[in-house]
Amino acid sequence: MPEATLRSLSDPGRAGPASRLSRLAPVHWLALAFLAAALGFAAVAWATGNGFYLRLATEALIFAGLAMSVDLLLGYTGLLSLGQALYFGLGAYVSALVLRDVAPSFWLAMAAALLAGGVAGLIGGVIANRVKGVYFALITFGLAQVAAKSVYNTRALGASDGLIGIPQVSIGFGPFSLDTADPLSFFLLVLGLTVAAYAGLAYLMDAPFGRTLAAIRANEKRVPFLGFNAWRYKLAVYVLAACVAALAGALYPMLRGFVSPELMFFETSGNAVITVIVGGVGTLVGPVVGSLLLTALRSVVGSWTEHHLIVVGVIFMLSVIFLRKGLVGALLARLGRRSEQGRATP
Amino acid sequence: MADLIDYLQFVLAPQALNGLSLGVAVVLMALGLTIIFGLLDVINMAHGEFYAMGAFLALTLAGLGVGFWALLVLVPLLMLPIGWLAERWLIARVFHSRDRHILTLLLTFGLGMIMEDLLKLVYGPNTQRPENPIEGGTEILGMFLPNYRLFLIGFGLALIAAVWVVVFRTGLGAMVRAAAFDKDMASSLGVPVRRVYAGTFAFGVALAGLSGVLLAPIYSVFPTMGRDFILMAFTVVIVGGMGSIQGAVIAGLLLTQVQALSSLYISPVWSDPLVFGIMVLVLMVRPQGLFGRLGHA
Repeated sequence: MPEATLRSLSDPGRAGPASRLSRLAPVHWLALAFLAAALGFAAVAWATGNGFYLRLATEALIFAGLAMSVDLLLGYTGLLSLGQALYFGLGAYVSALVLRDVAPSFWLAMAAALLAGGVAGLIGGVIANRVKGVYFALITFGLAQVAAKSVYNTRALGASDGLIGIPQVSIGFGPFSLDTADPLSFFLLVLGLTVAAYAGLAYLMDAPFGRTLAAIRANEKRVPFLGFNAWRYKLAVYVLAACVAALAGALYPMLRGFVSPELMFFETSGNAVITVIVGGVGTLVGPVVGSLLLTALRSVVGSWTEHHLIVVGVIFMLSVIFLRKGLVGALLARLGRRSEQGRATP
Repeated sequence: MADLIDYLQFVLAPQALNGLSLGVAVVLMALGLTIIFGLLDVINMAHGEFYAMGAFLALTLAGLGVGFWALLVLVPLLMLPIGWLAERWLIARVFHSRDRHILTLLLTFGLGMIMEDLLKLVYGPNTQRPENPIEGGTEILGMFLPNYRLFLIGFGLALIAAVWVVVFRTGLGAMVRAAAFDKDMASSLGVPVRRVYAGTFAFGVALAGLSGVLLAPIYSVFPTMGRDFILMAFTVVIVGGMGSIQGAVIAGLLLTQVQALSSLYISPVWSDPLVFGIMVLVLMVRPQGLFGRLGHA
C-alpha cells in the first residue's frame, strides 16, 4: 500500500515530518507529561509513607494494561471486545498458580502468562474473527462467559473463592532486586512496564502493521485489494491484545496476593471498555489516563456513597455522545488547534 | 417399562414443564430484544434493567393498592414513554454515525448501569418478594403444578401470539417491517420512520417491563435481577437469529429445555457454560442465527 494512503487513513494527530523533536506527536508529549505526574505522585506518596494510595495507583495501572488491550482492538482495528477480561483473568490465574505452586519467580510467572495469553488468544481469535461487527462483540462476550463460569465452577481453581495466599516475590534484575511487598518499588516497576508497553505498542501502531490495522478499521473490504490479508492482521492484533491483557493480569496476584473469578467476569471487561471510551479511543495513552482518573473517581465518590456507578455511567454516556476520542482526544484537539493558530500568526 | 414411565412422569415431565414456564418468560424478554435489533440494529444492553424496572414498578404500585390484573396493563403503559424517551434522547443521537452498532451498544450499556444503580438507590439492594397473585396448584397427570406457572405459560403464549399478529398482520406491523427492510424507501412512501423507531423501541421496553411484572412472583425482585436473565435472552436472540421473531420463540423454548433437562444429568451450575457454549458455536457456524431477520423473510 502506498505510504501516502496509509498516512491519510491513520490518525492525523500522529507524527508528521519535521525535526526530530517535533516528530514526537502531541500524544507522546501527553504520555511524557503523564509519566512525570506519576513520578511526582510516587515521590509524594513515598515521602508521606502512604502505601494505600500507591497500591491503588498500581492497581489502576494494571487495569490500564487491560484497557490498552481493548484500545488496540477498538481504537485501532475497530473491533469491540466485550470479553477481554478472559485473557486478563487467565494471566492472573496462571501467574497465581506459578507463583504459588511452581516457583515464586516473577519472570517465570510473566513468561507463563504470556504463553497462556498467546495460545488462548490464538484460539479465541480464530473463533471470534469468523464474524464481524456486533457479532464479534457478542462472540467475545460469550467466550468470556463460558471461561468465567467454568473457572467459577472448578473446585481445583478455588471455585467462587478464587486462589488465595499468593506469595510476595522478589524480582531480580541482574545485580538489583526489588520486592513486590514494597508498595513504592512495585509501583515503579508496574509504571515502568506500562510505559514500556505504551512505547512498544505506540511504535507498532505507527509501523506498517498499525497502518494496515487503521486501513482495516477505515474500510475492511478494500484492504484485500491492496494485497493485504485482513483476516491475518485481525488475528495478529487479537493475539497481541490477548498477550497484553494476560501480562497485565499476571501482575494482579503480585499486588493483591489473591485472584478471584470476578477478574474474568463481564464487569471487568465492561470496565475496561468504559475506561477506553472515557480516556480516549485510539490513543493508547487515553486508557492509562482513563484508568487512573476512574480509579481516583471511584475512590473519592466511593468514600461518601456506594452508588458510584451512577456517576461513572453518566460520565461514560456523555463521553460516548460528546467526546468521540475521550478526554485525551479532546485535550489533543484543543492543543492542536492552539499550535495551528500559533503557526498561522508568526 | 414401569420405571421408564415413572421416570418420564415424575422426573422428565415436571422438569420440562418448569423449563417451559421459564422458556415463555425468556421468549417475552427475547422478543423485545430481537424486535429492537431487527428494526434499529441496536443491541439493547439495558434490556435487563428495563425488566427489573418493570418488576419494581409493579412492586411500588402493588404497595399503593393496585391489583395484579391492573398491573399487567399499567406497567407496560408506564414503560412506553420511558422507552420512547430513551430512543429519542440516546439512540437517535448516534444513529447516523458510522459506528452506530458499537455506539448504541455502549450507550445502552451505560444506561443499564445507571438504571441498576438508581434502582439500588431507591429500593435498596435487598431482595423483595411480591405475594403470589394466583394461589394454589393443579394436579395434571399426577404432577403438581403451581397455578401461577400455568397462568404464566398460558398468558405468555397468548402474548407471543399477539405480538406475532401485530407485527405480521396489522398496518402498524407492516410499517415496522418496511422500515426494517429499507428505511429510505419506507420513508419516501410516507412511513414516519423516526416515530416508528421510537415506537418500536418503546414497545420492546414495555415488553421487558411486562416480563418483569409476570416473573416477579416467581423469581423475586432485586436490582440486579436483570443480569442473569438478560444473558439467557441474548443467547436466545443470537441462536434464533438476531431480528427474527419466530427464531426467538423457537430458540427460547428449545434452549430453556436444554437447560432444564441437562440439569438432570450434569450439575446445574454447568448449564450456563453449556448454553453460552451453544451461543458461541452458533455464532461461529451460522452468525445470522437459525432464522432470517425481521422484514427480510
